Amino acid sequence: MAEKNKQHQEKSHEEHLREEHLMLDPLPRGQMNDMVMESMNTTSWKFWVVFAILSVIVAVYLFYDWAVLIIEGQGVAGVMRPDYWGIFLVNTVFWIGISHAGTFISAILRVFKAEFRRPFTRAAELMTTFGLVQAGFSVFMHMGRVWIAYWLFPYPNQRMLWPNLHSPLTWDLLAITTYLLSSTMYLFLPLIPDLAMARDRSTGWRKSFYKTLALGFRGTEGEWTHLRNAMNIFAFAIIPVMFSVHTIVSWDFAAATRPGWNSTIFGPYFVVGALHSGMGAVIMVLAIVRGTMKHMKYFIRPEHFEAIGKLMLIISMTWAYFFFNDYMVQWYGGDKWTRQLLHFHEAGPLGWMWFAMLVFNVVIPWSVLWNRKWRSTPWIVFIVGLLINVGMWFERYIIIPVSVTINRMPFTWRLYEPGIEVPMGIGTLAFFILLYMAASRLIPLVPVWEVQEGQMAHAIKKFGRETVVTVSDLE
Amino acid sequence: MAESKIVDILAVFPELEPAADAIEQLRLLGIHDDCMNVISGIPVTEAMLGRPNQWTNVPRIAMGGAALGFLGGFFLAYVAPFLYPYPIQVSTQSFTPGPPTVVVLFELTMLGMLLSTFLGVFLDSYFPNYRPMKYVPEVSDGKIAILIECPHADEKKIMDALNKLGAESVRPAEAQHL
Amino acid sequence: MTTDYKISEMKMSEEQTGKWGMVIDQDICTGCQACVAACAMENNVTFVGEVDSGYGRSMHWIRIERFWEGEYPEVKMTSNQPMLCQQCGHATCEPVCPAFATVHSQAEQLNLQVYNRCVGTRYCANNCPYQVRAFNWRDYQRPEPLPNQFNPDVTVRRKGVMEKCTFCIQRIHKAQDKAKSEGREVVDGEFTTACAQACPANAITFGRVDDPKSLVSQMARAHGHGVKHLEELGTLPNVTYLKGG
Repeated sequence: MAEKNKQHQEKSHEEHLREEHLMLDPLPRGQMNDMVMESMNTTSWKFWVVFAILSVIVAVYLFYDWAVLIIEGQGVAGVMRPDYWGIFLVNTVFWIGISHAGTFISAILRVFKAEFRRPFTRAAELMTTFGLVQAGFSVFMHMGRVWIAYWLFPYPNQRMLWPNLHSPLTWDLLAITTYLLSSTMYLFLPLIPDLAMARDRSTGWRKSFYKTLALGFRGTEGEWTHLRNAMNIFAFAIIPVMFSVHTIVSWDFAAATRPGWNSTIFGPYFVVGALHSGMGAVIMVLAIVRGTMKHMKYFIRPEHFEAIGKLMLIISMTWAYFFFNDYMVQWYGGDKWTRQLLHFHEAGPLGWMWFAMLVFNVVIPWSVLWNRKWRSTPWIVFIVGLLINVGMWFERYIIIPVSVTINRMPFTWRLYEPGIEVPMGIGTLAFFILLYMAASRLIPLVPVWEVQEGQMAHAIKKFGRETVVTVSDLE
Repeated sequence: MAESKIVDILAVFPELEPAADAIEQLRLLGIHDDCMNVISGIPVTEAMLGRPNQWTNVPRIAMGGAALGFLGGFFLAYVAPFLYPYPIQVSTQSFTPGPPTVVVLFELTMLGMLLSTFLGVFLDSYFPNYRPMKYVPEVSDGKIAILIECPHADEKKIMDALNKLGAESVRPAEAQHL
Repeated sequence: MTTDYKISEMKMSEEQTGKWGMVIDQDICTGCQACVAACAMENNVTFVGEVDSGYGRSMHWIRIERFWEGEYPEVKMTSNQPMLCQQCGHATCEPVCPAFATVHSQAEQLNLQVYNRCVGTRYCANNCPYQVRAFNWRDYQRPEPLPNQFNPDVTVRRKGVMEKCTFCIQRIHKAQDKAKSEGREVVDGEFTTACAQACPANAITFGRVDDPKSLVSQMARAHGHGVKHLEELGTLPNVTYLKGG
């Protein structure tokens, strides 16, 4: 009797494991293909309503307002002396930060073979590419004469005038271009087999669309070998590129002679901040994808939120460490302008923002994410991710327009009042969501072959009396 | 003439194990490894199927691209400043400043490397390729297909052997539009 | 011995001077803004209007900073502080421009602003510790008859372009050309900048700081209380302020 009872219990534990882990709950590949294809081909009326609203927002807030900005000049924005840099650059830094999560998940987790990454590497990688598009938009909005922005690119010209390689902005341009190109290529490479899968099971315009994009991929040994080699190179090489991008963004500030900016810790502080907002955004996107797209409850499970939640907690702690490190040394230095600036951060008219930043970035993640149950609940982590993103946006706002208010010439001190930047920023957000929505219905959002590969590698094994999960190293 | 004609056979296997057995068996039947090709929906490694290692140029092309990128960065950092009709001075920095040069060299090396890695996949796999090819769509459902080139005379013998080894379907392969 | 060597090197860097310089005597500056007006006339500086000016977009290459101490009504005015581009020897604005739009003139030892090359990233203005760069936020209208008094020697800037004090480089070039055609060097006091010319109190003196006999060098040295603004940043400014003499 006891024996039987025990056996029963073990069985339920095994069942529980299978229910919990996607990798232990395999379905036939054909069925998974059908699920992904169906989720991609299904659109409800709600989808189109949201799509239409976002399109209008993009058309008016992004493109019409941009035309106004170009015709009227930067005067329609809120920038002035001393706040020469405003929300456009806040948004640039913010979107570059968002873009870091995709690479973090699909490159770092791939290199370290973290298996939970498999179903959502593409969902995260899409954010990288689309986030960088918004970052590029924001930085071009910021330029006074955007119609000659191509002067910043190194190209042979009659006067042999090359961009100034002494300038952090030139490094920025090189780094962001490198990152945008390489992350797009890194998005595309693992997508080729899935495009071939979609090509094999679609008709009409979709057929020709996937046929063109799949490039004639069949899955021969050679093709897989080249692809795997390339993906391996990308996974390793894109990590230093990712670190360099946000470090260089931080140098735009750290290399300047501004009080509060001239900090040697800005590089890693910005990288961690980028990951902080990026992971928050990934978890939001996954919660929405899981909630709104068909069959996604199979692919994206609480275990994934749990794993990302753990990462978010660690990153939040790291961010707090760097923040305090920066703050402590600035405070201790006692330079009169820096002291004035720190006081302005906390007690100035935007002091509420400084405190909200700390609450959203540290207090809330720490007090929620330690709990395994809470961090496995999609709506809870969605809210935490949203607040982290608001907090990180505040952080960039404090670093840019709030900090440049205080400089060494008190005669020029003045508070920044945003103008057309606000609707245009909303426009970039709408455009990001719009691109993501379109992509979710055009390309397979789940890398089916990677999921199948993972399911083949996973098994349940018994160690003595205990049932455990094992992974075999297939690569 | 008819005897020396080469025909293609496409055998589809549902699992990894019978496919690996079939490859072993085909080798015994006198089919050289070069005359076989495996088409699969997930990356099945050569070791799993007991096949010889595939040659890939991607790492070499990547290194070449990295070298080209480095040279491009070198040009921008060390040659371009001296191409101006007159030297352009900013602040008291030298024409070829040290630390900024490191940044430029790094970014352009990485750009060159990653672009050429991507290009390497295209070159090595002959992408894009929209010509008709020998293929079965079941492959993307996780099946493993073996594409065999053999003399016309052996066709029947090999097809029988493949059927016996548990192939789901064995048929003469025909190039078709994907 | 090594210590001596180090000290001499430090001294050299402190004494490193540019070519053209200015001395501003804050004690005799009345804050009448004549220099501001003269500068705007000379250099085709645009008029931004009341609203934009009130919002920190005033377009001046020189401004009079007024400070006070204490709370109303016990307010004590301190001396006025004309602030213009300090033409730094080690300028922080120059290396950060991605387009080489602000560069160092090796011939004149001035910070140049190349309007045609400017793409408007505004990094230079952000990195200027003196906050003396002015950006063309819009294409401002010049009411009649102001367009009739454009200085033909100076470019008119349009929106999206950064600009700043040039030490009236057009006047420098004119004087040099005249001297060259007459086969001589430029004489000290032969010409001066618009602001110095307009100052009724003679608070601004302009000239060659690399010539120890010039008036500007003598004034900078004479009183022993000449200061350079934010000298601690190592920007090597070429404007000396005299105060509390």
